[in-house]
Amino acid sequence: MAELSLEGIEKTLGSTPILRGVDLDARDGELVVLVGASGCGKSTLLRVIAGLETPDRGRVVLDGRDVTALSPRDRDVAMVFQSYALYPHLSVRDNLVFGLRLQKVARGVIDERVAEVSEMLGLGELLGRLPRELSGGQRQRVAMGRAIARRPKLFLFDEPLSNLDAKLRNKVRVEIKALHRKLRTTTIYVTHDQLEAMTLADRLVVLDRGVVQQVGSPLEVFERPANRFVAGFIGTPPMNLLDVEALDPGLRESLPAGCATLGVRAHQLRAVGEGEALSPGQPRFDVEVLAVEPMGAESWVHGVLAAGEGAAAPAVSADAADGAGRRLIWGSPNWQAPVGERMRWTAEPSALHCFGARGERL
Amino acid sequence: MSQRALRCALLACAVASLTCAGQVAAAEAAEPLEPLVLWHAYGDGEAEALRQVLAAFEAAHPGERVHAVRLPFGVLASRLESAVPTGNGPDLFIDAHERLGRYIPRGIVQPLDPSADPDWDATVAQLEPQHVEALRRDGRLYGLPLSAKAVALFINRALVPEGGAPPAGLEAMLRRPLPQGVWPLAIEGEDTYFVAPIFHAFGAKLFEDGRYGLARDGEADPRAVQALERLAGFFRDGLIPPEPSGELVTRLFGGGQAAYAISGPWLAASLPADLDVRVIPLPGLEGAGPMRPFVTVEAIFRAGADAGAEASPAHDVRVAALAGFLAGEESAVLRATVARQVVSHRGAWERFTPDATMLAFRDAARGGVVMPGDARMSQVFEPTTRAIRAVVRGGVDPAVALAEAEARFDDAVRALPEAHDPSLALVLLGALLFIGAVVAVRRSLRAEVRRSLALSLPAWRYVAASFFAVLLLVITPLVVGAAMSLFATDGSEFRYVGLTHYVDILSARGGDLLGQGSFWRVLLVTVVWTALNLLLHVAIGVSLALLLHRPVLRLRAVYRVLLILPWAVPSYVTALSWKGMFHSQYGAVNALLAAVGVEPVHWFSRFGTAFAANITTNVWLGFPFMMVVALGALSAIPKELYEAARVDGASSWQQLRHITLPLLWPPLLPAVAMGAVWTFNMFNVVFLVSGGEPGGSTEILVSEAYRWAFTRGARYGYAAAYAVLIFGILWLGTRSRLVSRAMQ
Repeated sequence: MAELSLEGIEKTLGSTPILRGVDLDARDGELVVLVGASGCGKSTLLRVIAGLETPDRGRVVLDGRDVTALSPRDRDVAMVFQSYALYPHLSVRDNLVFGLRLQKVARGVIDERVAEVSEMLGLGELLGRLPRELSGGQRQRVAMGRAIARRPKLFLFDEPLSNLDAKLRNKVRVEIKALHRKLRTTTIYVTHDQLEAMTLADRLVVLDRGVVQQVGSPLEVFERPANRFVAGFIGTPPMNLLDVEALDPGLRESLPAGCATLGVRAHQLRAVGEGEALSPGQPRFDVEVLAVEPMGAESWVHGVLAAGEGAAAPAVSADAADGAGRRLIWGSPNWQAPVGERMRWTAEPSALHCFGARGERL
Repeated sequence: MSQRALRCALLACAVASLTCAGQVAAAEAAEPLEPLVLWHAYGDGEAEALRQVLAAFEAAHPGERVHAVRLPFGVLASRLESAVPTGNGPDLFIDAHERLGRYIPRGIVQPLDPSADPDWDATVAQLEPQHVEALRRDGRLYGLPLSAKAVALFINRALVPEGGAPPAGLEAMLRRPLPQGVWPLAIEGEDTYFVAPIFHAFGAKLFEDGRYGLARDGEADPRAVQALERLAGFFRDGLIPPEPSGELVTRLFGGGQAAYAISGPWLAASLPADLDVRVIPLPGLEGAGPMRPFVTVEAIFRAGADAGAEASPAHDVRVAALAGFLAGEESAVLRATVARQVVSHRGAWERFTPDATMLAFRDAARGGVVMPGDARMSQVFEPTTRAIRAVVRGGVDPAVALAEAEARFDDAVRALPEAHDPSLALVLLGALLFIGAVVAVRRSLRAEVRRSLALSLPAWRYVAASFFAVLLLVITPLVVGAAMSLFATDGSEFRYVGLTHYVDILSARGGDLLGQGSFWRVLLVTVVWTALNLLLHVAIGVSLALLLHRPVLRLRAVYRVLLILPWAVPSYVTALSWKGMFHSQYGAVNALLAAVGVEPVHWFSRFGTAFAANITTNVWLGFPFMMVVALGALSAIPKELYEAARVDGASSWQQLRHITLPLLWPPLLPAVAMGAVWTFNMFNVVFLVSGGEPGGSTEILVSEAYRWAFTRGARYGYAAAYAVLIFGILWLGTRSRLVSRAMQ
């Protein structure tokens, strides 16, 4: 059980700055997820916490103790690697107890832990096998078991699910969540998958280019993204981000001054019914429907803002990159939508997010 | 297909025409008379003299042509032995007289026919009688002597300035005061040929009545013991440099670092021109007679009866005429003046003015002991040289050393095993072949076998070329070698002896199973040799790989190249360099030891140090391979494992022990298995560094097999049995569980 705090961590590899002053606190027993696109510095940050990398500047404080200069073995942390890094020459059992043996833990205690961990993760029948005789999911569980058996102050997970197939990934995700609830060990979890991040996190840390963009509960981050980047990164589908210039002039005028980008989530849009009159404060999006993607419970209707009266809009294809800033998705409950035709969509004014020219939330 | 056949035929023609090109060309050149072919192994100067002699012969005999073929000295005998019996030999050849004992029973040589040469008696009468006698066997003259070689005493007159007659005894000469750092006498004092004059001075004979001369029935000849004690005294008193080689003698005397040298005419040829040298016949020894060197007579021989296509009286006359001309006066004068040969023709010496050196060599030859021509004489050298080394290096009692030499000699010249009746073996072989054929035919009649055979037919076409190459280059020699182990031969006759060689080897021929030179003892040495080498190869190779693998080390690429260098140098070059470095007087190893105050070590006088020298050399040769393999294996270990271990709390040492070494071992094992085979058969190092010294104790199986084949008579069958046993041991070894698990 431990609290972790990072203060002003900076790290440069070669001439590339990877981390540019990261501050972060993880409270006791919390599951903190670091999420960001690849190359954002999240794995480096995790390795700094583990002690595998030394920061150029800043402090790592674990349980009130400055551990910045300590080697990994003196930090009492456990890490689950993306590749699992199981010792290929050791049986599952020996992999589980490798750290304990090095710490010279009594044999009785070791046996107890093995029993406990294998019970918890269902490894009982695998104990005598070598890693190469296990499936991907089994290896992943052994890697977790190795971390759990140590009973460290802090768990570090480095994209532990990325080598599993989609179905297994969902299953293990739930298992990790349940496991954390049971163990209540402070955990730092790194992923590039925002869905995984949303579902697992007690607290979400969104990183971009070595800088923390937002820290908050998944719901906070989802509902009130701190900036344009977070808005476009979190959520499935990501928030619709529209250039103010492309908007209907009436709507444009109702927005606060300095608003450069208007954000609205797909599920908060709705179609305006035939003959329905919109109240003056309600936004109005006249779109041309490009495509429909049925997702099961809902369909994603892709649209592009039609030109306002008098303004000629260039034609936009269904290609996702085309017409960025004018494209939006509506999470429709219906399977059908009139592709190629015009529709009018709207949302509650409270569902609108405004971002300034530098991406900041207004 | 037909085109391919044509190409094959063309290739065969090309090969055939290449092999006989010389003869064909020669035949075309002289339409009426086929040229006489003469083989020799002369050096540059003597070859030039021979060319002039042959030119003179052709001028004196119009229409006659002689085709002279120069062969390397070490190759002449074996080339004759393989070519003459198959009719591909020369008409005549020039060789040393002591080879007669070996050539006569094999039909390599035939007596010259006195009736074919009208001047025969006149020619023979002019030749040195002692030399003529050396060529006579059973009353028949097998060749005509051309020249004689014997060693003499070289004096550096800058160091020994007296002009008059030298003192009577060698000892008195050697006791003269000399400048610091100058050796009194440079001599290959551990080599039987150069030590023979000392034995002769005391009246001992190296070979007598077909038996070993320096010891009889386990009792050393007291005169030989005295001689060895005198020689050991020379070494002890620092009169002779230790561990001398021919190269060292040339370097010391030629460099003015030795006052005297005992050597032959070849030393004179390699001395610097400005060295003021005088040569005299060997002097006497104090309290003993004169030092009489061995005399080798070089003669012109007629190749065996089968040689050449035509055996006609006319041909006999041509051959006799050439032989007579070569031995005659005109030829002798040319050879003496052009090549400074000590010619056998007595009249020739009146026709030119010989200088003092030539006269000294002639006197040395006249006073010498003609080398016994018995084939067994060649077996005297190895045991005697070992005895000399044991005495002067290891301080062994000369009587003991000589008695051991006699045993070795007897062992090497022992009679071939009784011939066995081969019928049982032939019946067995026939039965096996028959059963094999029956099984093969019955199998091939089965439908599924035929189907799979038909299926694999295209594959056979792909591998056919390499299959035949392997069959020809690997399997055939293996089978022939294995078959040879069932036969006994001394080179002249083959007889089937069944498994006698195996029984002899494995039972140490009734001697002590762990006695000196027994199979089991050599096997023990070989196993210890292999194990120690591998241990050090792996330990050093892995340690260096671990050092080089560290990313922090700068100039890694440079170190890598430097450390792989020992591997890139041919192993015999390395072995010879190390042998030089282990020289007790001039070696770098002792120089380093001296720098830290350690007494010089005579590396090859005791088993432990000689073995250590071999191991050092082979470790130097072997660790780069292990290092390269270990480097590869190291870079294949994922980095995450070390990170996981660090997070798990492993220190650097624990990472090495629990991650690196366990993961290094599996990829290293096949390399270790291969290294074991290479080391087990590492002939170069053992043969070149210690040469089996002291007393053959550091010999390993493969070098022992070599000695039986090439230095102790030509016991090819016995050596082949050794080779089969080595093969068997390695085969069993590589099938062991450890190795087969590693290969998986």
